[in-house]
Amino acid sequence: MSGSAVGHLQPEVHESRTVPYLVVALILTALTAAEVWISYIPALLPVLVPMLLVLSGAKFVLVALFYMHLHYDNWLFSGVFVPFLLLAAFVVLVLLGLLVRYFSGF
Amino acid sequence: MAALPKEIGHEETYLEGGGVLGWLTTVDHKRIAILYGVTVLFFFIVGGVEALLMRIQLARPDSHFVSAYVYNELFTMHGTTMIFLVVMPVGLGFFANFIVPLQIGARDVAFPRINALSFWIFLCGGIVLNLGWLGNAAPDAGWFGYANLTERYYSPGLNVDFWTLGLLISGVGSILSGLNFFVTIINMRAPGMTFMRLPLFTWSVLIMFILILVAFPPLTVGLIFLVMDRFFGAHFYDVVAGATPLLWQHLFWLFGHPEVYIMVLPAFGIMSEIVPVFSRKPLFGYPVMAYSTVLIGFLSYGVWAHHMFAVGMGPTADAAFALSSMLIAIPTGIKIFSWIATMWGGEIHLKVPMLYALGFIIQFTMGGLSGIMHAQPAIDLQQTDSYFVVAHFHYVLFGGSLFALLGGLYYWWPKVTGRMMSERLGKWQFWLTVIGFNVTFFPMHLLGAWGMPRRNYTYLPYMGWNHLNMLSTIGAFVIAFAILLLLVNMAMSLRDGERASADPWDGRTLEWAIPSPPPEYNFERIPIVHGRDVFWLDKYGLGATSHGRISGAAGASDVGVAALEAEPATEIHLPAPSIYPLLIALGMTMAIAGYLLWLRIALTGVFLTVFTVIAMAFEYPAAGAEVHSAIGESTGLDNRKVGIWSFIGSESIFFASLIATYMVYKGRDLVGPTAETILNIPLTSTTTFVLLMSSLTMVLAQDAFRIKSDRWGRRWLFATIFLGLVFLGGQVYEFHDFYSQGLSISTNLFGETFYTLVGFHGLHVLIGVIILSCLVGASYFGWFDERRRDMAVEEAALYWHFVDVVWIVIFSLIYLMRAVTKA
Repeated sequence: MSGSAVGHLQPEVHESRTVPYLVVALILTALTAAEVWISYIPALLPVLVPMLLVLSGAKFVLVALFYMHLHYDNWLFSGVFVPFLLLAAFVVLVLLGLLVRYFSGF
Repeated sequence: MAALPKEIGHEETYLEGGGVLGWLTTVDHKRIAILYGVTVLFFFIVGGVEALLMRIQLARPDSHFVSAYVYNELFTMHGTTMIFLVVMPVGLGFFANFIVPLQIGARDVAFPRINALSFWIFLCGGIVLNLGWLGNAAPDAGWFGYANLTERYYSPGLNVDFWTLGLLISGVGSILSGLNFFVTIINMRAPGMTFMRLPLFTWSVLIMFILILVAFPPLTVGLIFLVMDRFFGAHFYDVVAGATPLLWQHLFWLFGHPEVYIMVLPAFGIMSEIVPVFSRKPLFGYPVMAYSTVLIGFLSYGVWAHHMFAVGMGPTADAAFALSSMLIAIPTGIKIFSWIATMWGGEIHLKVPMLYALGFIIQFTMGGLSGIMHAQPAIDLQQTDSYFVVAHFHYVLFGGSLFALLGGLYYWWPKVTGRMMSERLGKWQFWLTVIGFNVTFFPMHLLGAWGMPRRNYTYLPYMGWNHLNMLSTIGAFVIAFAILLLLVNMAMSLRDGERASADPWDGRTLEWAIPSPPPEYNFERIPIVHGRDVFWLDKYGLGATSHGRISGAAGASDVGVAALEAEPATEIHLPAPSIYPLLIALGMTMAIAGYLLWLRIALTGVFLTVFTVIAMAFEYPAAGAEVHSAIGESTGLDNRKVGIWSFIGSESIFFASLIATYMVYKGRDLVGPTAETILNIPLTSTTTFVLLMSSLTMVLAQDAFRIKSDRWGRRWLFATIFLGLVFLGGQVYEFHDFYSQGLSISTNLFGETFYTLVGFHGLHVLIGVIILSCLVGASYFGWFDERRRDMAVEEAALYWHFVDVVWIVIFSLIYLMRAVTKA
C-alpha cells in the first residue's frame, strides 16, 4: 500500500489516475463478457459454479482494490473490511451447509 | 459539524444549562448517556412489573390472576424489554456512552449527532414495542418469536407486528451506535493510548460494538422476511410453500447468541475496572484478559446453533456447535481466574461496587457452569424449554450482567452526578438483591429438573411444584424491594448526597483525572498516555503497581488532570446541538410503524426521514474546524472514512444473509416460474455493464475533484447518476415483466427471495443516486469547502462501489448460475 487518501494527515496525491481506472474498466468488461459467454455453454455446466466464482471474485477484488482505493489507502481500511467479508462468507457457507443438509435429511 | 469555542477552565459541568430544548437537541455523549440511563430505568421498572405479575400468576397452582393471553404477552414483553430495552442499552447507551470517551481521553464520540440519533431511534423502537399494551395487543409470541407462530395465520392481530417493527427500529439505533463507538475507539484514543494500554472496559465494549455490527444484520434480515410474510404474502417460513421455519431460528440465533455476549461483555469490562481498584492491585494478566475478550467475541459468532439442538440438525452440526460452545468457556474461565488472582494478596476494600463484583463472580460462574451443561446436546435435549434454562440464563444475565451493571452504577455514580450514594443503603440493597435473586432463581433449577416447562401459564396442584414456585415468587418481591431501595438511594444522593471528589475510589483510569461531574469538554487538555493504568501511574509513579499509595504521594482527592502530562492547551471546539436526530428518528418510526395505522403516516415518515437526513448532512456546511476534529488522534485517519468502511462491512453481512437465503431456497419451488425459465440474461448483462461503468464514472468524478477540476467532477457525477438511473430503469422493467408473467412475491420461493434480494439492492442504488444528486447540488452551490467536499465524494464513492460489488456477486449467483438447479 502506498500513499494516503483524503482524510489522512499526510499531503494529498494530486496526479490523475485516469489510465489505471480505464484499464480496470476494460478488464471488468472483458470478465463480465466471459462470465455471460460461459454461462451459455452447456458443456461447462459441471464446472460453471467454480468458474463463475473465480471470475466474479476477480471483478470484486479489482473494484475493491482500485475503485475503492484499498490498493492506495492505509492498510487499516483493508483491516476493517476484510474480516467483515470473511464473516459474510462464513454466514453464507454455514447457513447453506446447515439448511441444505436439513432439507436433504442429513 | 459546527464548532462552538469553549472557554478553557470554565467550571460549568455538562449537567448545567440548556433547559428542556438543550436535552432534546443535545449531542454531548454524557447527556445522551443520561437520556439512555433514565429511559432504561423506566423500561427496567416496566420489565420488573411484568416479571412480578408473572410470579404472582405462578405463585399458586391453578391460578387465574391473569388470563393465558395476558400471560403470553407478559413473558414475551418481559424478555424483550429486559434484553433489548434494558441490559443491552444500559451497556452500550449508558455506560459506554459516558465512560468510553473519558477513558480514552477524548472530548466526545466520533459522530455526536449520530450518537443522539441512536438514542432517539432506540426510544422510538421501545415505544413501538410497548404500544400494543394500549390496545390489548402486546407482542405474545415469546422474546425469540419463533416462526411459524409469528406468521399471520397463527398470529392474526397486531401483536407480532409491534414486536417486529419495534425491533427493526431499535436495531437501526444499535447498529448506528456500533459504528459510532467502533470508530471512536479505533480512531480517537489520546496520544500514547495504544491497544495494550486501553482500559479493559473500553476493550470489552469495543468487542461488543463489533459484535453488534456483525450480529444485527442477520436479525434485520430475519425480521424483513417476517414483514414480507405478514404484510406482502411471502412464505419465507412456511413449510407448505417448501420453506422452513428453521431459517428464522438460524437467522435469529446468529444474532441471539452474540447478543448474550453483547450483554455480558460490558459487565466483564466493568468487573475488570472495579476489581483492581478495590483490590489496590493492577489487573492480573492484562494481555491475556484482552485476548480473551477478543476470543470470546470471535467464538460467540460460531455457537448459535446450540440453541437449536432440539430441532434435529444432525450429528455433525450438533458435534461442531457443542465443541465451539464448550470452547468459549476457556476464555471466560480465564477472566474468572484473572479477577480472583487480582484480588489474591490485594488490599480488598469491601465497598458496594466490590460487593457486586464478588456477587457477579460467584453467580455468573454458577450460570456459566449450567451453560456448559447445555453445550452437551444429549443433556440439552432434557433441559430445553424447561425452567432449568430459565434459571441458567437468569444466573448469567441477572446474577452476572445485572450485578456487574449495578456495581458499575455505584462505581461511576459519583463521576456521573458529582454525588456519592449511601454505602449503608447500598449494602442493604446488595444483600437483599443477593438473597432475592437466589431465592427466586435457584429453585427454578429444581423446577426444571422436575419437568416444569418454561412459559407455562399455570399448573395442577399435584405436580409437586407448589412450594418452590411460591418461594420463587417471594424472592421476586424481595428483589423488587431491593430495587426500590436503589431508587431511594439514587434520589437521596441526587437531593443531598455527599459531594464527590474527582477521584473518590482512588481510581486507575483517565475518567478519575477530571472533576466530578465532568465539564462539558471533558478534558481541558488532551492527556498524553505513557502506560497502562495511566492515572494510577501518574499519581504514584512507576514503582506503585501494587498495594495502594506510596507514602508521601499526593492524596487521591488532591490530584487532578493538571498532574497528567497533556498536550498544550488550545481552543476547545465542541459540536453544536441539533434537532435533526430527534426528527430523523420520528420520521423513521413513522415510516416503519406508521403502516400499521395509516399508509399516509408511513409515506409522510419516508419524506420526513429523507428531508431531515439531507438537512442534517448540510446543517453546518462550511465548518472549517471540523476538518481537524474529524481526523483521528490515534490513526491519523478520517473518522468518516473509517465509519463508512465499518458500515460497508456490516452491510456485507446483511447481503450475505439475503444471498444465503436465496441459495438455500433455490430449486425448492413447488409452483410458478423459476430462475431458469424467467431470467432475462441479455437485459441484465446490459444493466450490469451499465452499473460497472457507473463505478468508472464515479471514480473519475472523485479523481477530477481531487485534481481540483470541479467542472469535470460534476460532469462525471451526473454521468454516474444517469447510469444509476438506467440500471434502476432496467430493474423496474424486469420486475414489471416478471410480474406480468405471473411471478409475484407470493408465487413461490424464487419469487420472494429474488424480489427481496434484488429489490434491496435496487433500494441501495436509489439511495446512492439521491446521495450523488445532493453532492452535485452542494458542489454547484458551493455549500462545501474543498476538503469537506472531497471527503463527502469519497464516502459516497465507497458506498457506490460497494453497491457495485454486491451486484457483481448477485449477477453471478442469481442470473448466471440460473441453470444450476440446487445449491
